[in-house]
Amino acid sequence: MKENHYSSPLMWLTLLLIMVLGFLWSGTISTTDISGEWFSGAVASVENVSTDTAVTDEDAELKLVPAPRPTRADYPDIGVSSRSIVWVVAQMHLFFGALVLAVPLFVLVIELLGMYTGDSRYDDMAHEFMKISITAYSITALFGGTLALSLFLLYPDLMAYLMRVFGAQMMVYAILFFLESMVLYIYYYGWDALRYGNAKWVHLSLGVLLNGVGATLMVTANSWATFMMAPSGVNEVGAVIGNIWEVMKGPLWNPINLHRFIANIAFGGAVVGAYAAYKCLAARTAEARAHYDWMGYTSNFIAILAFLPLPFAGYWLMAEIYAYSQQMGITAMGGILAWLFIIQAVLIGTILLAGNYYLWSGMSRTEGSKRYQGFIKYIAVVLVICFLIWVTPHTLILTSGEIAALGGSNHPLLGALGIMPAKNIAVNLMLIFTFMSFQIYRRSDKVATVSWAKAGNALMVAIYAVAIVNIIFVGVYYGYFTNTVYKVGSSVIQVVSTLTVIICGVVLDAFLYRKAKTLPSHWGQVSNRAQYALFALPIAFTWLMALMGYVRSSVRTHWHVYTVMKDTSPDNFIPTIGYAGNMMTIVTVMFVLFVLFIFWIANLSGTKQIPPYAINKVPATERVGGAA
Amino acid sequence: MIKNLQIWLVAFTVAFLYFYGLDHFIMSMQGLPLNMLP
Repeated sequence: MKENHYSSPLMWLTLLLIMVLGFLWSGTISTTDISGEWFSGAVASVENVSTDTAVTDEDAELKLVPAPRPTRADYPDIGVSSRSIVWVVAQMHLFFGALVLAVPLFVLVIELLGMYTGDSRYDDMAHEFMKISITAYSITALFGGTLALSLFLLYPDLMAYLMRVFGAQMMVYAILFFLESMVLYIYYYGWDALRYGNAKWVHLSLGVLLNGVGATLMVTANSWATFMMAPSGVNEVGAVIGNIWEVMKGPLWNPINLHRFIANIAFGGAVVGAYAAYKCLAARTAEARAHYDWMGYTSNFIAILAFLPLPFAGYWLMAEIYAYSQQMGITAMGGILAWLFIIQAVLIGTILLAGNYYLWSGMSRTEGSKRYQGFIKYIAVVLVICFLIWVTPHTLILTSGEIAALGGSNHPLLGALGIMPAKNIAVNLMLIFTFMSFQIYRRSDKVATVSWAKAGNALMVAIYAVAIVNIIFVGVYYGYFTNTVYKVGSSVIQVVSTLTVIICGVVLDAFLYRKAKTLPSHWGQVSNRAQYALFALPIAFTWLMALMGYVRSSVRTHWHVYTVMKDTSPDNFIPTIGYAGNMMTIVTVMFVLFVLFIFWIANLSGTKQIPPYAINKVPATERVGGAA
Repeated sequence: MIKNLQIWLVAFTVAFLYFYGLDHFIMSMQGLPLNMLP
């Protein structure tokens, strides 16, 4: 009876309506001339104006309005540093935005996995992940609204300029929000209504639609940030001379899009991993502990897997920043912000060590892992050595006496480890050895039975060995003994070598362990310390995002929009590293507190009070609400 | 013993040739022919 209710004609009509609206919507975009009326707010194109015979060149000049030049008096002062307010609110909005855009991405993949394997545990886990996301969604919107109000109140001239540049694109952003909310609510609340058969495919399609809208939202918002860093579609005084695509598609837009897309997945995985760890530690039954242990493992798997290619996207972003403006690149990595990159190395080292530690601890789930436990200490040694190379600064902060004793600000031996070739070798080796941890973990409960197992294993070892030698050789030879062009060019070899190891490892193991003998493994049979590693991951990720988000924003120095609109507010200076560090820590602590609130709410929705008349029939140990 | 040695020899030869070719390919794609060059 219930099934009939859910597959009622009304529901199918509603879905049909959504599809028709979707087609109409996509048609509107594609058939409208981009430089035509639809985006007219953003277009004051010289070409367009000059083709209109009724308009003279003089009128065209009048249409080109330069960026405003506010004086200090034009910035409202509310008694608290404007920059600090926007700093905190923008960072909180971005943390939550990253979380709610990332969770549906891997939820969709997990749901699809459940569909193919026929294992309902995947479906339940995906649904539970969405439960966390749904509370975070409203908090994202609250911070987004607060951010918009703060910006319009505290930086009115900048916002007026950005509104003029982006025009109707701002309304597209607003419309996308309605779509996102509607699809998200149907996707989450319709989970059990659309659970089997063809209805499940409708549900999966809604998941794809949700992620499509979410990704579009993200790249739209990214275009504002990248326009402020590297403006395009405007002339040297900031007047708009291009259409909306020329404004959006600046040199840094796609590098930021890719970097944030991957980072969001890693960040989202880490946050829901902390939720699973919290539930695992609080579990009262072995069954619940096993379920949340498995959920924590899956979250960590997603976070670390997304994290492995992330440094390459970051490298591309920084390379594009250098290509756009060497001055901006050097401000970031060789100037006032350079020490923040050393702190970045510490945080990334923390993430990789915590991720690896979790995998090593998890090997206790199966007895078959005894074969591989000897590897752990060697992997740990490599990770620590590479980590130390990564955090070695090039130029030390010294007193004049120390400089005299050292003969300069570079250490004669360790100074060589301070430049990019050394870091590239260290990062690539850390990624390869983290993947090795993954591989031995995945192999620990299996015994290969294929006839070519010995040869397959030998090939895997050879790929690891030659890739490592290759990475070290090109890093040292091209990095220290040739010219700069070759030095930068050779970093591509290192990236592809690392990716080769990862891809070969996944593909080779897929074939090597076909019809493998599976050894017994027990979910939940893992130390509590491993769960604390899952707490360390999201905190390190959050701190890292606060740190590098500050760097990305700060490289504009005293410009609102780089080279086009100057920042003349009282806050137009780069603060001390200590002040910036405190701000990053404040937003990180705030985010963690909000996340704890979200976890508590997610837990509360599954807690049922025992009715008074039944209270004496329940053992005293179970009286405090039966958590689901 | 000999068979084992053969397996390892073949595995390392395959890996070496792959990475050697990869280095050549990637550098020449960037217009930087391998040259054993401040």
